[in-house]
Amino acid sequence: MVEASEPRPGILSTHGISKSFGELRAVDDVSIEIADGEFFTIVGPSGSGKSTLVRILAGLDRPDSGNILLRGEDITATPANARPTCMVFQSLALFTHRTVGENIEFSQKMKGVARDARREHALRMMEVVRLPREYYARPVTQCSGGEQQRVALARALASDPEILFFDEPLSAIDYRLRKILEVEMKDLHRRTGKTFIYITHSLEEAMVMSDRIAIMRSGTLIQTGTPHEIYRRPESRFVAEFMGEVNIFTVADGRLAELGIAAAQIEAPYLVVRPEYLRPAGNGDADFRFRAEVTNDYMLGSRTQFHLDAGGTSLVAELPALAAAGIAPGDVGEWGFDRADAVPLAD
Amino acid sequence: MTSLPVALLLAAGFLAPIAIVAIYSIMPARTFVLTGSVTPENYVAAFTEGYWRPLMWSVSGALLTTILCLLLAWPTAKALKSLEGYRATFVTILIALPIFISESVRLFGFSLFLMPAGGILAGTMDAAFDVSIGSILNTRTAALLGMVYVHFPFVLFPLLLGLSQIPEEQREAARDLGASNWQLMREIDAPLAAPGALIGALFCFVLALGANAEMRILGGQSVTVITHAIEQRFNYAQDWPMGAALTMLVIAITALLVLPVFRRIDIDRLIRR
Repeated sequence: MVEASEPRPGILSTHGISKSFGELRAVDDVSIEIADGEFFTIVGPSGSGKSTLVRILAGLDRPDSGNILLRGEDITATPANARPTCMVFQSLALFTHRTVGENIEFSQKMKGVARDARREHALRMMEVVRLPREYYARPVTQCSGGEQQRVALARALASDPEILFFDEPLSAIDYRLRKILEVEMKDLHRRTGKTFIYITHSLEEAMVMSDRIAIMRSGTLIQTGTPHEIYRRPESRFVAEFMGEVNIFTVADGRLAELGIAAAQIEAPYLVVRPEYLRPAGNGDADFRFRAEVTNDYMLGSRTQFHLDAGGTSLVAELPALAAAGIAPGDVGEWGFDRADAVPLAD
Repeated sequence: MTSLPVALLLAAGFLAPIAIVAIYSIMPARTFVLTGSVTPENYVAAFTEGYWRPLMWSVSGALLTTILCLLLAWPTAKALKSLEGYRATFVTILIALPIFISESVRLFGFSLFLMPAGGILAGTMDAAFDVSIGSILNTRTAALLGMVYVHFPFVLFPLLLGLSQIPEEQREAARDLGASNWQLMREIDAPLAAPGALIGALFCFVLALGANAEMRILGGQSVTVITHAIEQRFNYAQDWPMGAALTMLVIAITALLVLPVFRRIDIDRLIRR
């Protein structure tokens, strides 16, 4: 039997990385261990320091303190052009005065690879990112957003880096194309087997693609884990609230303060319940039950979201289409959730 | 309709004089009428009677000035770009300020500085260090120095504009993809700043081609430039048709250079951001 849980060897690790801009501590004592071949995503709101962190990892900025190890070797002082890593920028930073082919070949040209071999290599990379061959001689400025995205990917891959960094490359792209590219990115990661370190402000995007996610806030990583762990076991209200809407209850004197119902054996000061775990409980089968009025319903496609008013407290619930049938604004009834689906939080 | 006054002004102040000069250039030598019989003799004389020498001096002087200005402006522009806030403003003002002072006044100042024995440079060296130095005043070198000094800002500022429009992320991406400093300049900076550099070089060349004060004040007439030859034809020799023919030649050389450049560069793109 293959030991699936055997840890992969580490490729990149940081120890106490910090960087300040004036008074602002953009990155504050960050230590990470990233495994070889991992899709690691750093998620945080704007201003959390995630871009600064990835710039430091890519060698575009120097940290004030701390060090970075690549396969155990200290690369803190190694400049970007000497690191076996490559970054895909938010703006993509394509060379606008060059063609698609010239962009992709850039790293090879810098190494002095002959023209024919470069072209060969570029065409192979274009195949990897599914860009038609006839784009080779086209100016990048004549490519669409999605095509430019692929050119940027191919250009980064062509340098054959050990680690690829992505600084929110999909944030400027419309929703539909973004969804397609997210899947392609994950697929590309699997096919190339390279380590991807990805920055985004969208936890939803991170969930789709990542092996592991780190949540960043005010320069520090506040929780690191698999998408499942981040979603099901947030360690703080910040993390819980980051992934869409949640219901947060305050626990006081053994009761859920907002609902006024007993909450025995819950030690933590807060209890978080995801919208999909709130459900109608008319038959009394839920661990926690309360009366609520449906104030609004929103069709989300396969699910329907309901806004509830439970004695003055606004709650949000999501039900699959089948279960949602027949529930309409104005309905008053028993709702509830189970103990196992609620996450106690310390802060 | 709003452009009509401008069109009239251009017609009266620019096209009409050129038309008059063009007609004069094909009139018989030393005549003062625009209605004589048409003749190519002035153009023939321009190439047979030794006028090609001043023309060559002007063209080569303008070329050399342009090249030297570009070579100086590149590192200056890079340095200015890396300076921050008030320091950049301060240096920029230092470079731009002389433009507001009459060129002749500046050149005479330069001349005082370079004068032999009692000049500012030679005199100071003599008085302070007891060192006697010669003077380059009244040589072609002094004239070239003056040309570079006067025309430098016209190259620097367009180049600075061109450089400042290079997205920093493209430079970072190039570096990240393994470019060395030299490769970064060759692959990214130079091609992306080229429109600015070209505009600056054009300003410089056209102005330098028509320059004559530098040669008069600093060069001591060690050579005759074409503008000086033209001036002589019109004033001293009273041969307007010959002067007009030389003028047309200079205009033709300028147009030959300017038009292809303007066709290649999108000025709107350079000026807006």
